Amino acid sequence: MKNDNDNQWLDPMLEQHIQREPEAFDFEKWAENHPEETQLLHSGFKDSGRSAKSKTLKIWRFIMESKITRYSAAAAIVLATTFVLFGPSWAPGNGSVVLADVQQKVEEAETMIIRGTKTFMRPGEDGELFEFDGVPCVFDLVKYFSKQHGFVEEGYAEGKLFYRITFNFAEERTLIVIPKYKKYITFTFVDAIKKMMENFSTPNGIFNLLLECDHKTLGRDKLDGIDVETFEFRKTELFEELLPKPVFDIQAFKGKVWIGIKEQLPVRIEGDLRVGKSFMTAFNELNLHEVNTLEEFNVEIDEGVFDTHPPEGYTELTISDILQVIPTEAKAGVAGLGIIPAGFVAWKRRRKKTSLHPG
Amino acid sequence: MTEPEDQNLVRRALEAAPESFGRLCRRYYPSLVAVADSILLDHHLAEDAAQEALAAACRQLPKLKKPDRFGSWVGAICRNVAKDMLRERQRQRKPVEMCHSNDCDGEQDDDQKTLLAEAVKQLPDHLREVVFLRFYNEMSYRQMAGVLDATEQSIDGRIRRAKKKMAIYLKKAGFRR
Repeated sequence: MKNDNDNQWLDPMLEQHIQREPEAFDFEKWAENHPEETQLLHSGFKDSGRSAKSKTLKIWRFIMESKITRYSAAAAIVLATTFVLFGPSWAPGNGSVVLADVQQKVEEAETMIIRGTKTFMRPGEDGELFEFDGVPCVFDLVKYFSKQHGFVEEGYAEGKLFYRITFNFAEERTLIVIPKYKKYITFTFVDAIKKMMENFSTPNGIFNLLLECDHKTLGRDKLDGIDVETFEFRKTELFEELLPKPVFDIQAFKGKVWIGIKEQLPVRIEGDLRVGKSFMTAFNELNLHEVNTLEEFNVEIDEGVFDTHPPEGYTELTISDILQVIPTEAKAGVAGLGIIPAGFVAWKRRRKKTSLHPG
Repeated sequence: MTEPEDQNLVRRALEAAPESFGRLCRRYYPSLVAVADSILLDHHLAEDAAQEALAAACRQLPKLKKPDRFGSWVGAICRNVAKDMLRERQRQRKPVEMCHSNDCDGEQDDDQKTLLAEAVKQLPDHLREVVFLRFYNEMSYRQMAGVLDATEQSIDGRIRRAKKKMAIYLKKAGFRR
């Protein structure tokens, strides 16, 4: 294509100013300087454990093969991933802020307490709040992170604790409690989940993912009196494939991060997800807006916060419990996922019908 | 002989054929250096950024969803690596100087050359990038399209806009043709 505008007089000057001889890439030298990458190439990436897609599929396969853990593990992974996306590990940096420095600072932090909100809305301009079993899904969040002990996310709806997810590193155990129903789910970390947590919750794991995303600086700003630099992330396809779409269908993801220039630490993180009909949204299309404010670093957090023993008086969540709060139209979808047997739904429907119309 | 397509090279690289990745590196390295140079305005740093981008791309290769778009993918990685390097330089208060004369000795005794350098520097990032790609190794629009994930028409438009902006800048600065 010929550039025929009036400024062709610039071409020879630009050629002289910018042009260089073609670079000869020395692959052998590059390989010498990058032994780990070369090893990956020679092994056919067998030991990398870096394939998000294959890892997801492996985890999914494990879940589906285990009758006991399949529904609870699926729930936990989704919730954990949501935590991870907006949790303390998600710490890019730039500008007056340098990615590597922020990454290191976050890695060095022993503990963090994060507060924020998590709001689920139906798509559309009016932004109707999504309700789950009569509870408006706008949660006040408190998150506790301890490098030594684990992490916890608490979601409060209308001032009351609605859910609490605890990951205990030492015990390798997860506990989810839902006080409204006095129910809990608990299970041990399996290798697959553990590996996923390591890869997606460590600063390095998230850092590598973000390196592939387009981001731009929105410039300097002041946030609660702190000088910050703001960044926006888009086109985050990698986050979209963290989980199988039938489980949590992230269709779009956009995030903003405010990083304190002096402290080189993230101060605030906001994310917007558009989630398609999937298990974790009870087969509703939803928008999730989450705000996290990172207030406290290296504060003392009682070890008891990370306790994974079910509270007294709580009973384990069962498939029947799940079916009671899932809309009828979603049940077929749940069965379609293999999370519960299709026959189970049919049987429950028949029972309901029979009880409504005896005889 | 026809060069193998990117997707074939990516597939082979994932199947323990390192040389396939080497071919991808050789194919895109000049473009990556040009992309990084348009951000860093320092040729040596740009080479480092391009090599680092290829290392990052190698580590993330199994995650590449569309192997036929390896070029634009590694281009985006390189852009991010270069931006980060630039910010690190700025943070260390070592402003990167425009240093594109062949000897790169920092002597800018030629006013015209300095003005041209400034004209390039004042361009928005996305326009400076196409100028560098176009004039670095006399890259074709097709080659540029492979790295920028853009059509040849849009690249042509960007180059026109870039040159127009530079011409206006130079005219205002009293540049004599």
